Amino acid sequence: MRGLLPFLSQRLLRALIALWLVSTVVFVVMRLSGDPVPLLLPPDAPTSEIMRVRKDLGLDRPLPVQYAVFLKNIVRGDFGRSLHFREPAFSVVRGYLGATLELGLTAFFFAALVAVPVGLLSAMKRNTLLDQAAMGVALIGQSAPTFFLGILFILLLSLKADLFPTSGRGDWKNLVLPAMTLGAFTMASIARLTRSAVLEVLRADYIRTARAKGLGEVMVVAKHTLRNAAIPIVTITALQFGTLLGGAVVTETVFSWPGIGRLAVQSIYNRDYPVVQCTVFIAAVLFIVINFVVDLLYGFLDPRARTG
Amino acid sequence: MSITRRELLKGAAALGAAGAVSQVAPKLAHAQTTQKRELVVAQGGDISKFDPHFSTSSNDIRWSFNVFDNLTARRPDGSLYSGLAEEVKLESQTRWTFKLRHGVKFHNGDPFTSADVKFSLERTYDPNAKTMVATVFTTIDKIDAPDPHTVVIHTKKPDPLLAARLAFYGGQIVPKKYLESVGNDGFNAKPVGTGPVRFVSWTKDDRLTLESNPDYFGGRPDFERLIVRAIPETSPRVAALLKGEVDIITQLPPDQGQRVNGNGSTRVAGALYGGLYVLAVNSKRPPLDNPLVKQALSLAIDRETIVKELWKGRGIVPNGPIAKGDNHFDPKLAPLAYNPAEAKERLKRSGYKGEEIFIETTVAYVAQDKAMSEAIASMWKDVGVNVKVEVIEFSVRAQKNREKSFKGVFWSDPTSTLGDPDGMMWRLLGPGGPQDYWREARFDELGNAARFSVDEKFRGDAYRDMTRIFLENFPWLPVIQPYEDYGLQKYVEFTPNPNQQFEIRRFNFKFRRA
Repeated sequence: MRGLLPFLSQRLLRALIALWLVSTVVFVVMRLSGDPVPLLLPPDAPTSEIMRVRKDLGLDRPLPVQYAVFLKNIVRGDFGRSLHFREPAFSVVRGYLGATLELGLTAFFFAALVAVPVGLLSAMKRNTLLDQAAMGVALIGQSAPTFFLGILFILLLSLKADLFPTSGRGDWKNLVLPAMTLGAFTMASIARLTRSAVLEVLRADYIRTARAKGLGEVMVVAKHTLRNAAIPIVTITALQFGTLLGGAVVTETVFSWPGIGRLAVQSIYNRDYPVVQCTVFIAAVLFIVINFVVDLLYGFLDPRARTG
Repeated sequence: MSITRRELLKGAAALGAAGAVSQVAPKLAHAQTTQKRELVVAQGGDISKFDPHFSTSSNDIRWSFNVFDNLTARRPDGSLYSGLAEEVKLESQTRWTFKLRHGVKFHNGDPFTSADVKFSLERTYDPNAKTMVATVFTTIDKIDAPDPHTVVIHTKKPDPLLAARLAFYGGQIVPKKYLESVGNDGFNAKPVGTGPVRFVSWTKDDRLTLESNPDYFGGRPDFERLIVRAIPETSPRVAALLKGEVDIITQLPPDQGQRVNGNGSTRVAGALYGGLYVLAVNSKRPPLDNPLVKQALSLAIDRETIVKELWKGRGIVPNGPIAKGDNHFDPKLAPLAYNPAEAKERLKRSGYKGEEIFIETTVAYVAQDKAMSEAIASMWKDVGVNVKVEVIEFSVRAQKNREKSFKGVFWSDPTSTLGDPDGMMWRLLGPGGPQDYWREARFDELGNAARFSVDEKFRGDAYRDMTRIFLENFPWLPVIQPYEDYGLQKYVEFTPNPNQQFEIRRFNFKFRRA
């Protein structure tokens, strides 16, 4: 693998730039959104008290100075102290990260494991009742709001059918409904994309050749079709991970799942800058790492990507 | 000081009648008793702090009033009873003596003494401690602890409400020795009190685990463990109750009552909230500086319809600035009137020329605020008011509240933390108070005199006069006194407090056993 080092360093540089941009945007947006101090103090606190707290939190300094301090601290891995919890922001976020990873990864694998076979089957049996039914369900999955799906699942599968608990984190049963809710959109997208990618490959000349030389259908699909259809599928799947992180905000609230999505929303209401910055930063790191892994996968799946 | 079973049943019956709690056919009797030893409660938000002197938020105080005790406490019927103080005596106009219970221990085994009381109360207003309850005990001059079981409090002036003040937030007694050894952060992470439940563990945004205190002086509560879950969305919270995953849910909105009552194994229990939902008025801003305009605005609000339609009957129409159930509430005063013709007439007399009047509403700062704003806006339009509804976010409201920069009227929920007009209208509307937008010399004179008098007859007269002045000037437009509703499994017997204190004690909570 001759081109691996430049390939890696280029990707790494891009990742760093993306992280810097993300943190800067969050820094600016949070400061545009209002002063956290009135929310931290009782309504009748005197002005002297407000000034003291502003000074304690460093909010009395000019924005560029705050920004410089912020960047310097981030490089050292220090996201400041949570205004609300009064402990280091990173340790607050770390406490919530496990729950989000558990939910996100379950939803992700659940979506991928269902969606790829469904998409493949739909493509191979295209325009049959099976195909139409699968794609119809996928359309609903893609268009139904997460909030609505979550409540619907609770009503049907928990209250009526009594299969799963309504909310909260616990054993595997608690995971099923939130993972289905969170994974629905991703599952639908992957299934639809898999179907079209496979259809395209099935029309390619080399498939006709494979069939012509007398290969069985299983071989045609497993060896020639899937591998070639994999690149767009892997791409969309990786990108969907970002959607999952976004969807976690709503899903975690509906199912009272103690993850970083819910933490982020609550921290925005509390104007807890350090926690919001840390949460977004970590979500961005996750997303970038996944994309980085996908880039590496490309290299493995398609040798042309290593040089291109 | 204990409550008899008959009294409790009477209270429950009254509550049932007041709340029109429907009784469901007895065929589901199997679901109406339980052998559970674990009580699970779901509330609408997570706890943020355990240190009782660093939070006044309802999600926090529900638990701090169970982990900790106060010298005095309040029963669900609103009366004061003894907490950690066995005996309370007003010895002179400014001198109170408290005889403390013997043999009480903190959850870590340390004995409870007068030193803890002195430390706790002084901590609340110690400028270096920077607590969130620094304004609660400003009437205290000094605290003596002559022996381990006696506390003497000297007030700066006569304070008729000291005993009531001690029953609410700020008054929770914390352990001096333990707190000094672990520091504020250590104490907040592992709180230790004398209350009926003790802290076991807390996973943020997931669950708080408490266990019952077998040595509790008021008797061990009827469970071994108490789990508190945070379920922020209403619909999943109600679903968790209907499915039997939780035993009690808090903050049940009025539109969900039917679902809970219609379910067979669950029911609604409510207490008339110790406070009012009002549109507070920035009376400095024309045309709201004109009393006639404010009288017209009040007359134009059809409160009966708001209670009936938006609240499904779960509230009452206020008759003034004093909440029903508080000291000096006047039951003879008629509920605030709805009279659109008279409203038009007074608007005309006021010389109102169609200036914009703003309702700056929040969404869910108080329950139903946005819906009520829209309803009231259309009622005001009907009498010819040029009204504009603007939605503001909580933090914007907090800022405007601090800067006193509201453009018109805004939602507020004056809560009678002391069960008395002093802790409610006078605290908020008095000179320098958070809602000081309007002054009237006579009102101020009476409010001050009542604050420092221990003569209840005099205070009653003062508040009657203040109510009269209030109803001419409307510094608030009271809209509703709502019920604070809870959803319960039918096997739970629980009488809630009129505020959000949520004290669980032997006299107001038990599981119905087979």
